[in-house]
Amino acid sequence: MNQNTDLLTLRSVSKSYGKVPVLHDIDLSIRDGEFLTVLGPSGSGKTTVLRLIGGLEPLTAGEIRLDGQDISRMPINKRPFNTVFQDYALFPHMTVSGNVGYGLSVRHVQRREIARRVAEALELVQLGRFADRFPAQLSGGQRQRVALARALICQPRLILLDEPLAALDLELRRQMQEFLKSIQREIKTTFLFVTHDQEEAIGMADRICVMQAGHIRQLGTPHELYYKPNCEFVARFFGENNLVAGKLGPVQGEQRPIETALGRLVCSISDQPHLKAAPDGANAFAAFRPEALHLADATEGDNRFSGTIADLAFAGSSTVATIAAGSDTAAQRLRLRIPSRIDGSALKAGETVSLSFAPHEGHLVLA
Amino acid sequence: MNALPRPSTIFLAAITTLVAVLLYSPLFVPIVSSFFTISHGDVDWSSPTLSTYRALAENHDILAALRTTLIVGLCTVVLSVVSGTLLALYYHGRRSGRSILQFIIFLPFLMPPIISGLALLIFFREIGLERSLLTVVIGHTVFVLAIVYRTVLMRLQSMSRTLVEASYDLGATGWQTFWRIILPNLSSAMVGGAILAFALSFDETMITILVTGTQSTLPVRLWAMMRLGFSPDINALVALILMFTVLLCVLAARFLIPRQMATERS
Ligand SMILES: Nc1ncnc2c1ncn2[C@@H]1O[C@H](COP(=O)(O)OP(=O)(O)O)[C@@H](O)[C@H]1O
Ligand SMILES: [Mg+2]
Repeated sequence: MNQNTDLLTLRSVSKSYGKVPVLHDIDLSIRDGEFLTVLGPSGSGKTTVLRLIGGLEPLTAGEIRLDGQDISRMPINKRPFNTVFQDYALFPHMTVSGNVGYGLSVRHVQRREIARRVAEALELVQLGRFADRFPAQLSGGQRQRVALARALICQPRLILLDEPLAALDLELRRQMQEFLKSIQREIKTTFLFVTHDQEEAIGMADRICVMQAGHIRQLGTPHELYYKPNCEFVARFFGENNLVAGKLGPVQGEQRPIETALGRLVCSISDQPHLKAAPDGANAFAAFRPEALHLADATEGDNRFSGTIADLAFAGSSTVATIAAGSDTAAQRLRLRIPSRIDGSALKAGETVSLSFAPHEGHLVLA
Repeated sequence: MNALPRPSTIFLAAITTLVAVLLYSPLFVPIVSSFFTISHGDVDWSSPTLSTYRALAENHDILAALRTTLIVGLCTVVLSVVSGTLLALYYHGRRSGRSILQFIIFLPFLMPPIISGLALLIFFREIGLERSLLTVVIGHTVFVLAIVYRTVLMRLQSMSRTLVEASYDLGATGWQTFWRIILPNLSSAMVGGAILAFALSFDETMITILVTGTQSTLPVRLWAMMRLGFSPDINALVALILMFTVLLCVLAARFLIPRQMATERS
């Protein structure tokens, strides 16, 4: 397993259902052994990507390569991938061990070998005691693990998971997230995991591929997506963010100013050549996270502006303030996150405060 | 649960009961009287007996008719289950041509049996097929095909599409998927459809009268006997047919009403 070699590559892949285009010119490389999450709102085409890779749907255009070989036309039952379906798709007339062993028995593996490997797989997903039950006799989390064991047992090169945790309640979902992650580390197989839940994506993925309306918007580590979103969609979709529209000013080394309703804001552009290359006066957004915003004492210096506290919401360890800033004609709503205090918040609704963020904690996205 | 106010529930229950009593209570008359003999034109209520049944068992005409009925029924079941299942599999998930096919399949079942019977009779004459048990089997199959097709199709539609996809995904071929995933999930619907088909074939009279040759099935035999008036052995025969049909329907219901295993995905 080498995380730097590509296992699977999608090149200019497009998909239409009839005349309706669903995926537009997708390019995506999946590295050997990684946990790659496809994240996007409902209807963005995540399931379709998975079905194309698994071979459940034919491509409209483009190609899919496995180890450099074109597999676009390889039939589904020949592809070395296995899927964990969203509804689990367990065979209701077979026991747990019948389900798990199915992939081996259709390949005519010997009975004793099947029994051994089924026991092993059930041990791995901690379901050894349930081998003789039927799917109807299992809980949601257990069915989920049977589906996983069934997919693992054929030792696929890639495991495709379509929102496998969506049907589970919060507590169980947390447990299963850790469980999946630990299994992935143990068997060192590449996982392609689809979800619409960005917290789930951040928590599990080595890399995240953000999709919207049939396009891949950004592919990167959770850290990169959080701190260097490359477009407005990712900046808004991925975590809480403040976006303020404006026009770019001239580049100043690794920083660039933007003229906004809150005044001139200076943001970092390091490692983002496209922001350095954008022309002066281009429309863009200054983006800064609620936790990057601070209450400031002075009214002078970089990235300083004032606002009125419109609302305060206690959220456990932190308190979130909604702030109305900018002029009446170009009002901006901002969110500020500060640590909660046992004796109540230091802030009062209706109060006017002075705020700032450090240039290296702000970033720019083109409109 | 119950959206209706109480008085109307009671009213509806009363009507249902009344209809059931009016429809089905006459059937108890032959059942009850089949256990008594008739002497001097009157039922002798004093001593219940099985003698009518014994007489039935010794009646060679009736036994021959029973054998014919069973042969026709079994052939009809095999033919209709195989073709009904194949049609359902073929047209499941297919848009084009499906509504026309369904219309054709359902027509003989929905039309008055005398029309279906006459149509078949004319058809057999035109193609030069002698009236025999074969024509009876064909007639019955055409008649019950709709039931089997419908039963299997409904099960197919309630089956999750991902089951088949999962099977392919795990490396199975089309045949393996058919034998190991699709068929086992259809089997109870097929058994239920088969029982219903058998029950329908067992009872069928009108089409049979029109297309049969020299041999008669049990209901046709019964029909012929009744023209000579009600006799104790007719009572016994009706009682037997009735009990057998009810038994079949109860059995069919057991296979067709989904149990826990089939509703797993809800
Ligand atoms: N079989 C299909 N026929 C037509 N349109 C489809 C089909 N499957 C999906 N779509 C459409 O493709 C788009 C993407 O769907 P999907 O890949 O399921 O999105 P996601 O999994 O991200 O919610 C949606 O607009 C959906 O309506
Ligand atoms: Mg989906």
